[in-house]
Amino acid sequence: MLAPPNLWRGPKFASRNGFNLTRRQRSVRLPPRRPVSRRKCRQNAKAGQCGNSIGSQFWQQLCQEHGISQDGNLEDFATEGGDRKDVFYYQSDDTRYIPRAILIDLEPRVINGIQTGPYKNIYNPENFYVGKNGVGAGNNWGDGYQTGELVHEEIMEMIDREADGSDSLEGFMMLHSIAGGTGSGLGSFLLEKLNDRFPKKIIQTYSVFPDTTNSGDVVVHPYNSMLAMRRLTQNADSVVVLDNGALSHIAADRLHMQEPSFHQTNQLVSTVMSASTTTLRYPGYMHNDLVSILASLIPTPRCHFLMTSYTPFTGDQVEQAKTVRKTTVLDVMRRLLQPKNRMVSTVPGKKSCYISILNVIQGEVDPTDVHKSLLRIRERRLATFIPWGPASIQVALTKRSPYIPMAHRVSGLMLANHTSIATLFKRIFRQYDGMRKRNAFLEGYKKTAPFADNLNEFDEAKEVVTDLIAEYEAAENPDYLNPDFGDKNDSAEADKRMG
Amino acid sequence: MSSGARPVAHADARNPPSAAERASGASRSRMSATDATNRNRMERERERASAAAAAADPRYGAAAAAASTSHKRSASGNPRPTSRMVDERRTEKVQVTTRETLVARTRSPVRRAAPEERSRQPEPPKPRPPEMRREPSRPLEIEKPLATWEPVAALLPHTTAPLASRISIPPLASTAPHTLQPKPLHELSLDAQEAVILEDLLFVFMGFEGQYIRFAKGYNPYEERDRLAGPTWRILPGLDPSLQDLTQSMLRMATHYSALETFVDVQSREEFGSVNHALCASIRKLLHEYLVMIAQLETQFLTNDSFTLHVLNVHILPTSHMLHQIYALAHELLKRNALLDDETDESSDSADDFDHILEQLREGGDLVPGNMTGKKICKGGVVLGLITKRLESMSGDPAARTLLTSLLRDASRPYMAMLNEWLHHGGINDPHSEFLVKEQRSIRRERLEQDYTDEYWERRYTIRDHDVPPQLEGVKDKVLLAGKYLNVVRECGGVDVSLQVKDVPISFDDNRFLDNVNNAYAHANESLMQLLLTTHALPARLRSLKHYFFLDPSDYFSYFLELGTSELRKPVKSVNTGKLQSLLDLVLRQPGSIVSLDPFKEDVKVEMNEITLTKSLQRVVNITGIEQGESLQPLSSNQPVDSDKNASGFTSLQLDYAVPFPVSLVISRKTVWRYQALFRYLLSLRYLESQLSTTWQTHTRGFVWAHTSSSRNLEIWKRRVWTLRARMLVFVQQLLYFCTAEVIEPNWQSLMARLREKEAGQDSTVFSPGASAVPPKPGAKVLTRTVDELMQDHVDFLDTCLKECMLTNSKLLRIHSKLMQTCTIFATYTNWLSRELEKADPDLSGTTKPPTMTDDQWRQFQAVRSQKGTSADSSALGTDKDGDSKKDEAARIVELFDVIKKWESNFSRHLQILLDALNHYAATETVVLLSLCARLSTANQGTEYAGLRNDEDGAV
Repeated sequence: MLAPPNLWRGPKFASRNGFNLTRRQRSVRLPPRRPVSRRKCRQNAKAGQCGNSIGSQFWQQLCQEHGISQDGNLEDFATEGGDRKDVFYYQSDDTRYIPRAILIDLEPRVINGIQTGPYKNIYNPENFYVGKNGVGAGNNWGDGYQTGELVHEEIMEMIDREADGSDSLEGFMMLHSIAGGTGSGLGSFLLEKLNDRFPKKIIQTYSVFPDTTNSGDVVVHPYNSMLAMRRLTQNADSVVVLDNGALSHIAADRLHMQEPSFHQTNQLVSTVMSASTTTLRYPGYMHNDLVSILASLIPTPRCHFLMTSYTPFTGDQVEQAKTVRKTTVLDVMRRLLQPKNRMVSTVPGKKSCYISILNVIQGEVDPTDVHKSLLRIRERRLATFIPWGPASIQVALTKRSPYIPMAHRVSGLMLANHTSIATLFKRIFRQYDGMRKRNAFLEGYKKTAPFADNLNEFDEAKEVVTDLIAEYEAAENPDYLNPDFGDKNDSAEADKRMG
Repeated sequence: MSSGARPVAHADARNPPSAAERASGASRSRMSATDATNRNRMERERERASAAAAAADPRYGAAAAAASTSHKRSASGNPRPTSRMVDERRTEKVQVTTRETLVARTRSPVRRAAPEERSRQPEPPKPRPPEMRREPSRPLEIEKPLATWEPVAALLPHTTAPLASRISIPPLASTAPHTLQPKPLHELSLDAQEAVILEDLLFVFMGFEGQYIRFAKGYNPYEERDRLAGPTWRILPGLDPSLQDLTQSMLRMATHYSALETFVDVQSREEFGSVNHALCASIRKLLHEYLVMIAQLETQFLTNDSFTLHVLNVHILPTSHMLHQIYALAHELLKRNALLDDETDESSDSADDFDHILEQLREGGDLVPGNMTGKKICKGGVVLGLITKRLESMSGDPAARTLLTSLLRDASRPYMAMLNEWLHHGGINDPHSEFLVKEQRSIRRERLEQDYTDEYWERRYTIRDHDVPPQLEGVKDKVLLAGKYLNVVRECGGVDVSLQVKDVPISFDDNRFLDNVNNAYAHANESLMQLLLTTHALPARLRSLKHYFFLDPSDYFSYFLELGTSELRKPVKSVNTGKLQSLLDLVLRQPGSIVSLDPFKEDVKVEMNEITLTKSLQRVVNITGIEQGESLQPLSSNQPVDSDKNASGFTSLQLDYAVPFPVSLVISRKTVWRYQALFRYLLSLRYLESQLSTTWQTHTRGFVWAHTSSSRNLEIWKRRVWTLRARMLVFVQQLLYFCTAEVIEPNWQSLMARLREKEAGQDSTVFSPGASAVPPKPGAKVLTRTVDELMQDHVDFLDTCLKECMLTNSKLLRIHSKLMQTCTIFATYTNWLSRELEKADPDLSGTTKPPTMTDDQWRQFQAVRSQKGTSADSSALGTDKDGDSKKDEAARIVELFDVIKKWESNFSRHLQILLDALNHYAATETVVLLSLCARLSTANQGTEYAGLRNDEDGAV
């Protein structure tokens, strides 16, 4: 509570200066970036610094995969790729490909970087929004949220414009971190607004969660995270959780980088993002729209926090990861299930289990291999599923971009709905609770509009997150569907059998 | 015959005219002038000869003297009564029948011993009916003393055999008046007997009765059948036994000759086909040589005193053998033609007839005029086959071998000409339907459009299985395909790809015969493959079909469904297909989608099929024992339209694909039907998936569902609904995944791999042009890939897909459709559930904001509710809130639980049944289903049925 506003801002500079900053810091600072997704076109809105850094990396990767040059024109070699560029791009009058992206930040540094970077020309210049005063949200959720109230008309206008330009808008993708001020606060506000404005469209977020294992550079991240999580629970259809702590671990342990840079970890994230959208961009028989991907992943509406793992990371994406082994389908699928490859650091308990899994396998794959691998995984019980519902590992086979050489025959991304994600929430909750009990750092919040009258926001957020955690824990129990009807249940089943 | 005739020819080269005269006298009219010169010359010679022989044979002295004044035939040296010589007279009669003038000469009177009471009975020739060469009504028995003996010969009208003898049959010797009968044999001396018999034999060898050797009783020359069998001969009694036996044995040749002559005449008729004609020509040539020989023998007989019956016998032996061979062959042929009775088994014959008739009925229009008996004429390949068979069985006899080989060579020439035309140009010039390939001209290629049975390809050209010559038996399919391919290539685009082959073998015994067939086949195959794969881009076509019918990629289609939802939701009858078509066109032309690059997108059409997929498949599956082609047809034809009342645009939508000609051979209607079936199946899965996805969206976004109710029971109930939806979604998606990734895609890949093999194989041949024009090097690459294989591969691919997608098993179909129905009902009732939920939820039906809601949410919710106009009711209820409404809510909740329980058990039970059935069929028929089983079983996890499954798994 004593911390001056620029303390929150500190991380930005720190990261600049090459301090050993985790990815989370970076993500914290980046205001939300929001992709807007549509069935053919998806819109991508990025809010905040983290979102914008990752986002620019993501767009760079997409451009490479689709063979789009830095000025937005198609490369000569990329005329026939069997891909759909119009999911994430639209074509301008001079046939350049323009990303369907809106970049929002309350302070100009990262966006300036993008606007002077190599891919500066592909973006629609009208789709940048930078806060007027350029001071950012000061790592204060309330600050970001209240700014949202002020500027939302301008932003919503941009979103409307992009949405109208989409033939068949299916939904939005938002890219942000939840620890800082802009991504978290402004992002929360935009989630609510989007929900109102487009009640039928799917909203998917890629949310970077703070590293809960060490204090990190944003002291108040538990506050910001809790407040943002409430919106993620209530206003988003699907949240892909990317945990800065886990990303650092993966970079360090799996890729043997002692001090992973933001650039490298951002590459990890953008790889995951591009992989999770391959079925949309390289359409095959199935999973060609967001709904079909999400519907099976998220059986119950509130449990929509997904974790990811990806393997193998190759030298192209991350230079130091060249030592990778053979890649068979089984190998890839098995590795995807290993906890250490997950991009979320969780502490799985005994009862933790998968609610659902979707494996996106890229490359030349023999379907029979997939089947064998699934059987093997089942035999070995490598994946535990919820005891009360359908237990399937879905597989989506997709092509890979022909323009990016890959050392591996097969690569895979897992999108999983796992109950252990609740442990991440719990840690945030505990940290929040500790700070809240001491009423630490509340001054900055009280100055902002949402907390002007009272701190009810905090309590409501706390309640929602508690419910969420409870929901996940309940889902680990076999009696999830009949908690109170133990006896009744037996008779009911007996009845059914009789019938 | 040449071998037999040659020695005689050499020996008697001096007097060929006599022989010629005899020969021609038998069958041709003769001019008197030539006769005279011949006679003069002959008499001179004969005088010389008899003078020389006088010392040796005293008989000749008188004979020679007599001969000088008499007709040449009496100069044979036979001792004859002087009176006969004196009275001998030649009667000639000139008759003008048609426009031709001819001299018909009766032979018999010349030698008649008793000219005295001969009375003549003019008998003007009558016009003969064309089919009956001989006058049947001729009164044979009128040999009363009253009747005058005036034999005449008439010129018969032309038959369809241009070279056939047109001389009418002379009267029978047995009908000659008694006065003309010769002196009985026993009255003659042995020498005289020999001379008489020799002379008679020379006649008989040419098919005429002699004085002492006559047609046996029972032979009726007016009966074609008898003539074909050949006359049997009878020697008048009294011949010395020493001569009798020898004569008797020589008479066989005479029989054969006569029979063959008739054979040639009959078989050269038009309807017997060119192979028979060629065979006849060949035989005729031999017969001509035979006559030459006889003429030479006569000279011998007239000039050589030492010419005895034995010498004659020695001379004719080889020829006799030859004629015997030909006769046997002819006999066999005739038997096949049923022109001759087959004594052996009449019964089997009639069975054959039955078959023949059936066949003809089936083939329709193959009845050749003139084939009045309804029997199949033995022609073309069968004739060749017969000769070949005989050749094989006679291979131990060099003479017969040579003879039959030459006959075969001659007879096969026209056949080879046809064969070469077919092989190298794809044409059939076969007026007599003898070629092994039959063309049904009535089957036009324009009909390919509606052809569900591959009729064009399968039936336009077919093999006449009975008519295949044995030499072609091994390669008949190649022969058929070679020409068929050439035809296709020619018909589409008019490119003449026929090979200019300079040096084609012209008969079967050519060594290059098989090479020729093989090369032609290779060339044709290569041309058509080239045409299909390169010019008409078959692989691209197939890829395009895959886009449209297998929805790979399906992005365009989702968009289409989205745009067309309003139209497709209507009942099928009121769907505006035109509108859908324009929507589809719009989607297909949208830049950015992959299909927009497809060059064939113009060919896709939208249709509505009112018969549900399950029904139409059931129908197909239930038809067994009928040709496949027919089983597919009922779809488009006359069924009572028992379309579902529930049939909507979504369930009836199907695509059609127009395929241009040469490609339509491979992508025929019957394959398109299969594509459509698969498409509709995939569509149904996809539609269900999207319905369930919509339900998911409602469950996720709908406020009623998303909000946490204060009623714990209701929350539990919601979980169950969600879980059931998740199960169904897993079921559908796993099924869809299985059908696409595990069935269609691998099969597709293997089809493409085979196609590439073909392309590769084809390339290799293109590089070696030697294969075509130049005679092949031995061991030149063997083309194993053919267009027919390609077509078969394609159909197999589709059939495999159908089968592995469970579309060919009626039981699976039934269970599967039940499951689908269950899911559809669930998805359809989503909105109803939402409403019920809203009513049951105490938080939502009340007027006060529940504590679990934020102000914003409550406000929104209220707004929505008031819009719906239900707020009045519910608030009214809510304000009452007393025990009643509480109970009401409880009752509602119980009701909701009942509903969901019913659906749950419905789904799980049906799924379990499906799994059991799948297990069963995986074990018995289709192994792939096992993997589907493994996938689908996960959907049932967590229900009471899952336990059963796991146990089974464990047991396995």
